[in-house]
Amino acid sequence: MIEIIGATKRYGSKVAVQDLNLHVPRGELFAFLGPNGAGKTTTIKMLCGLLFPTHGTVRVDDFDFATAGDKARRVISYVPDQPYLYDKLTGREFLQFTADLYGMPSERTREKIAEVIALFHLEEFVDDLTERYSHGMRQRTVFAAALVHEPKLLIADEPTVGLDPKSIRELKTLLRQLASNGMTVFLSTHTLDIAQELADRIGIIDRGKLLGCGTMADLRKQAAMDGSLEDLFLAITAEESATPAEVA
Amino acid sequence: MSYSLDQARVFRQLRLRLVRNGLRVALEAGRVRLLTVLATSAFVALFTFGVSWYLFHELAINSIPFKGVIVESLFDLLFFTLGSMLVFSTGIILYASLFTSPEAKYLLTTPARADRIFSTKFQAAVAFSSWAFVVLGVPIFLAYGTTAGVPWYFYALLPAYLLGYVLLPGSVSALICLVLVRYMPRNRRQFLVLLALGLMALGTVWLYRVGQAARHSLTSGGKELDDLIGQFDLVRSGVAPSHWMTQGLMAAARGEFTESLLPLALVWSNGLIVYVLAAWVSRRLYRSGFDRIAGGGTGKRLYGSSVLDRVMNALVFYLDRPTRVLVVKDFRTFRRDPTQWALLVIFGVLMMLGASNFRQYYKADLAIMDKYAISLMNLCGTAVLLCAGLSRFIFPLISLEGRKFWILGLTPVKREQILKGKFAFAATGSFLIAEILILLSDAMIGVPPLGMALHALTIAVIALGLSGLNVGLGAYLPNFRETDPSKIVSGFGGTLNMVCGLLFLVCIIGLMVIPFHLASLAPGLKGTNAAVSPWVFVGVPIGVVVGLLTTVVPLRAGGQKLNGMEF
Repeated sequence: MIEIIGATKRYGSKVAVQDLNLHVPRGELFAFLGPNGAGKTTTIKMLCGLLFPTHGTVRVDDFDFATAGDKARRVISYVPDQPYLYDKLTGREFLQFTADLYGMPSERTREKIAEVIALFHLEEFVDDLTERYSHGMRQRTVFAAALVHEPKLLIADEPTVGLDPKSIRELKTLLRQLASNGMTVFLSTHTLDIAQELADRIGIIDRGKLLGCGTMADLRKQAAMDGSLEDLFLAITAEESATPAEVA
Repeated sequence: MSYSLDQARVFRQLRLRLVRNGLRVALEAGRVRLLTVLATSAFVALFTFGVSWYLFHELAINSIPFKGVIVESLFDLLFFTLGSMLVFSTGIILYASLFTSPEAKYLLTTPARADRIFSTKFQAAVAFSSWAFVVLGVPIFLAYGTTAGVPWYFYALLPAYLLGYVLLPGSVSALICLVLVRYMPRNRRQFLVLLALGLMALGTVWLYRVGQAARHSLTSGGKELDDLIGQFDLVRSGVAPSHWMTQGLMAAARGEFTESLLPLALVWSNGLIVYVLAAWVSRRLYRSGFDRIAGGGTGKRLYGSSVLDRVMNALVFYLDRPTRVLVVKDFRTFRRDPTQWALLVIFGVLMMLGASNFRQYYKADLAIMDKYAISLMNLCGTAVLLCAGLSRFIFPLISLEGRKFWILGLTPVKREQILKGKFAFAATGSFLIAEILILLSDAMIGVPPLGMALHALTIAVIALGLSGLNVGLGAYLPNFRETDPSKIVSGFGGTLNMVCGLLFLVCIIGLMVIPFHLASLAPGLKGTNAAVSPWVFVGVPIGVVVGLLTTVVPLRAGGQKLNGMEF
């Protein structure tokens, strides 16, 4: 589903992502970890076609963003850490707009809107203007909009921020369920417990380079130690910090 | 229906829903707010109508033909100036909404086509930047129509002309914006050199034309009308859209219906073609331009102290150190945001351009273009510029501090001091800018020292009064929920502040300078040099007192409100 081949992204002279190679198959829940400024958000932005790699290729569902970006974006949903909603639309109108934008048939739209409203418990406020929503309500509405058009790939940046414990539990169950049903989920998070609990595979990025990628067992092997994901993460990123940084 | 046509429908529905819901909220939650906005627009339109009617009436008294070359030249200049301002203002708004707004970032991650996003943003930007053009333009031409006696279709064609005219400058600025963002050299020095070369080329063309006009005026042996027309060569050119507007409207005014349609077709067809071109360019450049902006620059940029900060610090030497620190902080935020100060620079340059043009009339000794009338126009223009500028930049300052106010709240600085700092920042900046603009333009026109002194005092009162009003009302009616300053300004508090500011201007200018100008204008028109009566200065001390009250009362009210707030 996701193919990143030799992708490098430069911001002027600064290299944000360096020669990144990553393959995520259909139906996998992939967690992407890294310290602040490691290149996670840049990678995500390249994955949803907001930014283009300076070198290399980014493909989603076999569509190359350089040549078929609009087709690639039709199979993706992106939930950013600071979601955007139109203040003067109701939650239901936003869901309708999203479905229309992705060209869904009207009958299917009605069914899916009803489904996601129930799934994210939006009934109480879905007909209010979103300008009155709390952060948690906004986050749930954005997730509902992300799923309304039945994407093949869901990209979520820090999805649990601002959610209450019950909503976090429900979201974790949902993400696992979506992956089991064949949707690819690409998750960026600082909450290592969630990554360890949910992810099929985990990628660790620091200073633009992918330092480790695999299952927990793979990462343990790479770090030559047992322990939690937190221990592995600290060990792998510390190793990188110890080696002199490459000059861009 | 194809997917792309479907997207057009989707965005049309989105806009309709946003407008419908926005109106419903405005009607349900804030009728006072809506009425204030409508009343302000009506007030500005009526005021413009009144002033325009008076000026056209003066033309009639002085037997200047309404449908002749002088009025045509004035309309040329008006459309040229408004068109230039539309190019800049639409470009700035479009840049912000295409490349920095959260909505653009969201839409670019969806399958929405780049040209569809562009067209939605373009329509919003043009509507936002040109509503003032319509609110100001319609009353001017209605006043012209009622005094000149024009056929009914002049009024019918007027909206079509004005709407068509906003399309062309908007599309041109959209094209410039997209091409600049995509291809502007990353190297700043290289870009500045290119920009300087472009400006030099434009300047050379302009100088050449002025030289031609001057030579013509020397050889024509005092044919003032020829001199006047010569000054407008640039804007009267057959390829200038501003001239198409003038030609069409003047033809309609003269009762030449068929002749008035061709310029209208020119305005619309060119506007639409450039718009289609801009949309085509956006399809190819928008996404890559966004990528360039997001990854732009030359890597990490180091921001440090600047000479300008030290100058600002020195200018507010009369404040204590903590307040000076706050003033410099506000100034630093202001100078690092080009969209904040670019409009001020544009207004200033246009005003200087206008003043230098008027100087040519003055040299040509045209009685009707009297220096007193022109300098009064300059004063009014500067005052309105201050009112608009302070409302846009100073009023939202306290609201924007809102979410971060606890940072200031934890510092050992009293809240009154914060307000005092913002007032000092606003008053120092606006006083300096306004005095420079007024004294320079007065000197260019040749206003006598007494008139210059009166203007300097009046603009000082206006700068201080407006600064007090904006800072005070900004603290009294803050909007801590909003982070976009333009939305804070267009809200209830911002609108009320704007109305109060305009009323204050009318009051101060009416009291302090209008009597002097009327008294000076009359002998000028009669060709005598009689001294003005001292009674014309009676309004000056009253104006100063009104100015002081407008400075102190809102500041005190704002300070009390700020002290009682919990964050």
